[in-house]
Parts: sequence; structure tokens; C-alpha cells
Amino acid sequence: MPKGNIINREAFLANIRAKIGGISSDKPVEKPAWTTEPQKKVLEGYDRDQLITVLREQCKEIHTDFYQTTLQDLSETITSVMKEYESETVVYSDDPRFENAKIEDYITSLNAFKWDRTDREGSIKIAEKADVGITFSDITLAESGTVVLLNDKGQGRSVSLLPANYIAIIPKSTIVKRMTQATDYIHAQVEKGEDIASCINFITGPSNSADIEMNLVVGVHGPIHAAYIVVDDL
Amino acid sequence: MKVSFFVTCLGDMFYVNASKAAVELLEHLGCEIDFPKAQTCCGQPAYNSGYHKETLEVAKHLVETFEHAEYVVGISGSCVFMIHEYVHLFEEGSEWQKRAIELKEKTYELTQFIVDILGVEDVGASYDGVATYHTSCHMTRLLGVKEAPFRLLENVNGLQMIDLPNRHDCCGFGGTFSVKMSDISEQMVDEKVEHIEETSANLLLGADGSCLMNIGGRLSRNESPVEVKHIAEILNSRGDV
Amino acid sequence: MPMHIGEKDFKKRVTKGLDDDFMRGAVRSAQERLQDKRATAADELGDWEDWRTLGSEIRGHTIEHLDYYLHQLSEKVAELGGHVFFAETGEEANEYIQKVAKEKDAKKIAKSKSMVTEEISMNEALEDIGCEVIETDLGEYILQLDEHDPPSHIVAPALHKNKEQIREVFHEKLDYLKSEKPEELALFAREKLREEFTEADLGITGCNFAVAESGSFALVTNEGNARMVSALPKTQITVMGMERIVPGWEELDVVVSLLTRAAVGQKLTSYITALTGPKQLEEADGPEEFHLVIVDNGRSKILGTEFQEALHCIRCAACINVCPVYRHVGGHAYGSIYPGPIGAVLSPLLSDYEEYQELPYASSLCGACTEVCPVKIPLHEQLIMHRRKIVEDEKKSPLSERVVMRGFEQLVNSANLYRTATKMAPFLTTPFAKNKLISKGPGPLKHWTHARDFPQPANERFRDWFNSREKRGEKNAKR
Ligand code: SF4
Repeated sequence: MPKGNIINREAFLANIRAKIGGISSDKPVEKPAWTTEPQKKVLEGYDRDQLITVLREQCKEIHTDFYQTTLQDLSETITSVMKEYESETVVYSDDPRFENAKIEDYITSLNAFKWDRTDREGSIKIAEKADVGITFSDITLAESGTVVLLNDKGQGRSVSLLPANYIAIIPKSTIVKRMTQATDYIHAQVEKGEDIASCINFITGPSNSADIEMNLVVGVHGPIHAAYIVVDDL
Repeated sequence: MKVSFFVTCLGDMFYVNASKAAVELLEHLGCEIDFPKAQTCCGQPAYNSGYHKETLEVAKHLVETFEHAEYVVGISGSCVFMIHEYVHLFEEGSEWQKRAIELKEKTYELTQFIVDILGVEDVGASYDGVATYHTSCHMTRLLGVKEAPFRLLENVNGLQMIDLPNRHDCCGFGGTFSVKMSDISEQMVDEKVEHIEETSANLLLGADGSCLMNIGGRLSRNESPVEVKHIAEILNSRGDV
Repeated sequence: MPMHIGEKDFKKRVTKGLDDDFMRGAVRSAQERLQDKRATAADELGDWEDWRTLGSEIRGHTIEHLDYYLHQLSEKVAELGGHVFFAETGEEANEYIQKVAKEKDAKKIAKSKSMVTEEISMNEALEDIGCEVIETDLGEYILQLDEHDPPSHIVAPALHKNKEQIREVFHEKLDYLKSEKPEELALFAREKLREEFTEADLGITGCNFAVAESGSFALVTNEGNARMVSALPKTQITVMGMERIVPGWEELDVVVSLLTRAAVGQKLTSYITALTGPKQLEEADGPEEFHLVIVDNGRSKILGTEFQEALHCIRCAACINVCPVYRHVGGHAYGSIYPGPIGAVLSPLLSDYEEYQELPYASSLCGACTEVCPVKIPLHEQLIMHRRKIVEDEKKSPLSERVVMRGFEQLVNSANLYRTATKMAPFLTTPFAKNKLISKGPGPLKHWTHARDFPQPANERFRDWFNSREKRGEKNAKR
């Protein structure tokens, strides 16, 4: 992609510099050593299994159904969740992990559509109509009950957004303590000069709103139901 | 222990019984009290209204007045905090600021002084009544004295304490706010009075004359039977229960 | 919608607020819920004060080096193929946004919640050139339908409305026929807005935090509307106030954790969406073209002044949710889209004292705001600084008050004068008192005594008692 335009920058920044003058400069700024870093102490010493317990408990807070299973029983679990949500049609991301987990065959046996990275309109239309969207979680945050999706290429931003129901498959190995570990990972990518995903979603349960009298209503623009399936041997 | 008593305007003119009680209480606890006669108002009304030049003069006066004290003990958390604030009024690193810091370090609110400096939680008081306590904003939030009054009241023989719902809400005094924005202030004090009535206590206690004057004024206008007292008066009661 | 809202006269706005029982009921219960949730979320962490300290250090550092971080941000965005426009004023920002809309021949624009676009009246500017702008945040959508009723809260814009009123709006404008149950209302809005999203040619988002190191933008929502706006339309414009930025992802973690907890008591909201550049080649959805508009609009006036900390604000509204003045008068009384304590600090700075001179006085200085602010902005102290400025620099305080204060200074500085005055007080007030209570006071006291009695000064002052006791040589009273 060609470099974008930058308009009016110099005058704008010169004005700021004049105001905070002396303190700042054009030279790289070193971040100071913060006096305290409480984010690094959250859930300190917890192992993966303890983190799963934290995740399971947090799911209650965020109106999310929690399942734990093995690779072998994964397809069965998905079937039962879909039944629970009265879902027939599926949209899922174009992601090699479905193949790797050997559930692609199962998924295609359903009334399912794989996100097509070359067809904007078509893919969006199908995602709109699908009853359930299924994706893998890239990083899973135990503390807040969050699945992090590094949406690029064939992932499709709409898969986890447009259908009324959402299922996240959570490989046990993706579970970390909290957001800190996810942002550390992304920061490291940036440091190394790697591209980061154009849309990183931190998803914590179904969509909701409290705009009407502070009453929590689940399912406003995004999914109305969300299920997390932790897979022990992934 | 030598204590210079900081009476505050309201304590000098309106809540005389509370001030007397505070002096007697401190003496009962073994302190020697003096009263620097040159003391005046702490300057908070001017400071909070934005008249900082005027406040600076007041601050100098009080710094001088209490210069030689070993401890300064005041009966209003808000006014004591104002004395602490002097430090920020003077120029950074100036001689005056140094003197203000010295004053700050030896100036305490009454209950804070008793609990933290004298190390006493039971002052041997007894009082027959059902009370609720209003936590004043400046004393709790700015001066940071949260627990001391409760510690002391818990140990008053015969006194039953009831929690005040929404106790952290401001009573609506706010100095000139109460006259400048009197319509809003009235709503705030009304809400406070509602909560006091919910407790069915017959006695409202507090450690700050200004809040008590505000809440008390509304209670009396409502012809409420709830009595209003400064905490010093209770802590200095030693009647039979 | 400009920053200023409603009636010009402050007193009238306050009276209107105080008289609105519906609104006050809604605000009171909302405040109580939000206060509880925030407190629980903070307590759960156990070391909330450490978090606040870190939050304030991060914000302080960022604003002190704002030029550097904005430079870095704009470089990164451009490298990714996005366009960056720096706007000194709201008008400049609007002109640029209009230009993009025209180029894209945009008819329908889907917009997610953004305070800065309210501040610069962006919607009106777009409507002027014939675009239809759809607010997609549920609260904003309700207000937009209700003849552009202004927001009264920065996180929950329709906080002042109850569900019956919302049902009425839906019924009148969209022939809604179902009940006032929040679930049914929300489901209805979901269906209506779905149509709008798919038809929109242009998406406009605000920005909770920009991340300088990677040129990313974090949008914090619960509803998912910001995700829609950034997934479906082919062109996206993100508008940010120039201070809404952090150095890197590590800092993003901290400020987002503080924001979601302080705002709604959630560990994280349902969606934190971090967008970096336009969509890549191999992606199907997401914007093909991305524009960033960085808005000053008065913010740089605050830099380098005693109010600089106001720019640390992360717009969580915690200060609003604990403010007792806000509770009674509601958001509209502030006359600004930024209400509550932060609004009282910020509005006069972004605009001027002419328009907002009363706001710094609309506080009892109880400090509840300062206590909850997740980035430790000393809000009540900033209100006092405003008052100082109004008095000493602007010389705009009423003459009567100046006279009183000058007298006060002389009085308290002269021990003699003070002693005489306090001695006289009981006699001077006797004509107004009955049973030692004043129920109809003279002068400014009449405001006090409208609803409260005022005590009459005691005949014997404390100092008289102490003196005579000393003379009699009682107890250990010495000196
Ligand atoms: S001033 Fe502080 S508490 Fe108020 S909205 Fe801003 S960050 Fe939140």
C-alpha cells in the first residue's frame, strides 16, 4: 500500500511544542521507569489449570456459556451448543486450525460456509444470515474472560460479529492471565518490526448495552449468545 | 504533652461547648493545653473562593501564631486540612514554605491526634443514646482521617452507633457554595437529612462544625427531634449510663 | 451539536434540572448502580491505588511528550496507507471530513459514539452537504431520534431518560408498537440499525486511545457498534481529540483496564477493538480507505498551564457518577456536552469564562471526584484554580464578594480586629434571632436561611471561657 498523506502536521505540532516547550523534543522519547506495575502481579503464580478455573468463573459474570472438552469430543460439543442455540447455519473463519484440529470435515458436514477472503459482499451477506459464527481464539485472557482474535487475512471481522450466536474454540495453550500478556505479545511484534493484525478484537462475552436505565440488555449489535469451548489437548 | 488548641471560627463563636469539651478531653488524657490568642480563621473561605492573595496573608499569620507549638490540635478536619494546604500556597523552596511544612507536620485533627499520637482508642466516655455519624468530606477524603472517629465512638459506653446510609455523600455545605448555589445545596442537605431519618437515630454526630451547622440547620427547620452534637462533646461525657 | 447545549442562562438550566423529577430519579438510580459497580471492581483488584498511580504516570508522561507521540502515530498510520489530517479547529476538521464524504459520494454515514465529533458539530456539517448521519450507539440513537436531545453523560448519553420515554420516542418516530421492556426496545433498535450498517458508505468512529508505536486505535464498547462501523463501510474516518493517545501497547493495557473498571465496573467491556490501518489485501471486510483526523479545538490552550492535568482524562465518567451536584441538577444543567466535575473543569478551558464562568462554582468541593478519578486528576483543586483565575486574573468576581474578601483578609490578619468582630457578632445578629436561631437571615445569609436555620453566635466565646478559666487558675491551663 502506498504511503498515505499527512496534512498540517508541522504547524500543529510546533504549536504543541511551544506550549510544552523545554520538556519535549523531536528526539526519541524514553519512557520513564514506572514507579509501580500492578498489572504484572495479577494472578501471579497461577498455572494453566488454575487459570481455566478463573476463566470458567468469569464466564458467569459475562453471560457466556463455558465448556471444556478434548479434541476427540470437540465436534460433539459444538453440535450440542448449536442445538442449545437452535442454530442450523454456520459461518467459520478461513483458518488452518480447523484442519489441524481435524474438525474441518465435521464443520463442512454442517450447513456451513467458510469465510471467503476474496468475496467481500458475498462473505458479509452470508455471515449476516448465518445462525452461528465459529472462530479460534488466538490468546485467551482468564481474568476478564476474553478471547483475543488477531483478525487478518481469512479470519473475517464479521464472523464473530454478525451472527446471532458466537462460538469461540479456545486451545488450552492460548490461555494467559490477563490483557497484559496479550499486549506484551503485540508490543513484541511491533518491536520486531512485524506487521500486526489490522483488526485485533478483544471479545468478552456477547454484545450488550446498559443504555436504557442502566439495565443490562444482552445482544445489541453483535451476538446475543456466546459460548467458549476450551480444548484441553490443543 | 503540650498541645496548642486551634479552635476555628465556628468553634470559637458557635460550637463553644464542643471546644470546651475538646479542651477538657485532652486535659483528661494528660495534655497540657494552651490557646494562642492571636489565632484567627484558617482562610479557607477565601481560598476556596479563589482569593489566594488574601489567603496567603492569613496563612502567614497562622504560621507565625503557631510557630512555637509542640502540637497543634484543631476541632475541624476541614480547617486542619487548610493548614496543611498552606504548604502549596508558598513558593516552592521558600523560607515560608519551610515554616508551613513544619506547621503541617505538627497539626492534627482532634480524633486523629487522640488515636494516632496519643495512641488512645478508649477515652473512658459514656453516653446514653442512639447515634449516627456524618463523615465530613474534607476530613475523610483530603485529610485522610477515616477510622479514628469510629474507633473512639465504638468504645463509648452506652452509645449505640447506627451506620448512616450513603455516608460518603457530601452534606451540601461547601462554604460559599451553600449561599452561591443555595438551591442545589438545599437538595443535598435534604438528601442527607432523609438518610439520617432512615437510621432512626436520635443523635447526629460529626467532627466538623460547618457540616453540623448545615445539617443541624435543616433538621431544626424541619423541627426534627434529632439532636446534633460534635464528637468532642460525646467523648468528654462521663455520666452514668 | 456544538459543545454548548440548552438554555443560555445557568440558573435557568439548574432550575429546570431540579424541577425534573423523572430525570432526577433516573440519574439517582443510575449513579447508585454505577458507583457500586466501580467500587466493587476497584476493590477486587486489591491494589487499585497502585493502578491509579501507574495510570496517572502514563498519562502525565504522554501529555508531556504529546508532540513526539502524535508525530510517531501519524508516521505509522501513513506507512500503513492511512491518511492523517491535523485540525487546529473544529471547522478545519469538519471541512476535511466533508471533503472525504464528497469524494466517496457518501449518502449514508454510520457513526459510533464519539464526544469530540459532538464537540465540533460534525453531524450538522455532514448534514449540510446532504449526508444522512446515523448514530449507532443505542443511547445516541435514542437521542438522535428524539429531535437531537443533547447527551447528559459522556458514557451513557441517554441516562436522563427512562424506558417509558424511550418507548414513546420509538413509537412516535418509528411506529414501534411493543412494550417498554429494555430487551424489546434494544432488539427493535438492533434490527433497525442492522439495515443502516449494511447500507452505509462511510463509517466514522471516535477513539478511546490511539497507540503511537503501531498507529493503532482502540475502541472500547459493549454494544459492538464500533465493530460494525469498522467492518462494513468501505471508507472509515476516525476522529480523535489530540490527547487521546498512549505510547504503546503496554500502556494501552493499563489505561483500558482503568477505563472499563472506572466507567462501568467491568474487567473489560464486551469489545475492545484495536484497528491498525485499512484492511490488508487478503482481507474481505474492513475499510479499504482509512482517514485519521486529529483535533485540537482548544486543547493546546491548556498545555503548559496549571490545568494541563485535565488533558489526562480518559473519559470514564467516574467523577460524574459520584458527583452530588450532578445527581441533583443532571447533565443538561452544565450547558456543555461535558458535564459533571470534568465538564466543569474542561468546558471553560475549551470555550471561555464568558460562557462557563458558573461551572467552577457548581461544586461543594467535596472531593468525591478527585477520590475516584482513575488517573488521579485533582478535579476539585482544578475547580479552585478556576475560581482563582476568575478572581485574580480575569477580575470577574462580583464586586460585593471582593469587598467582603478584602475585609475578611484584614479581619483575620489582625488578631485584635478579629477578636472585636467575633465579640460583636452575637449582638449584631440578635435582631434576627429567636431562641438562638436565625430563620430569616440578612444579606447573603438569606440564601442559607431559605431552607435552613442559622445558629446565633454564642454570647460567651470559647476564648472568653478559656481566658477566665486561666485567670481563675483552673486545671493545668497555663501560659
Ligand atoms: S476526570 Fe477522571 S474520573 Fe472524570 S472522566 Fe476523566 S478520567 Fe474519568
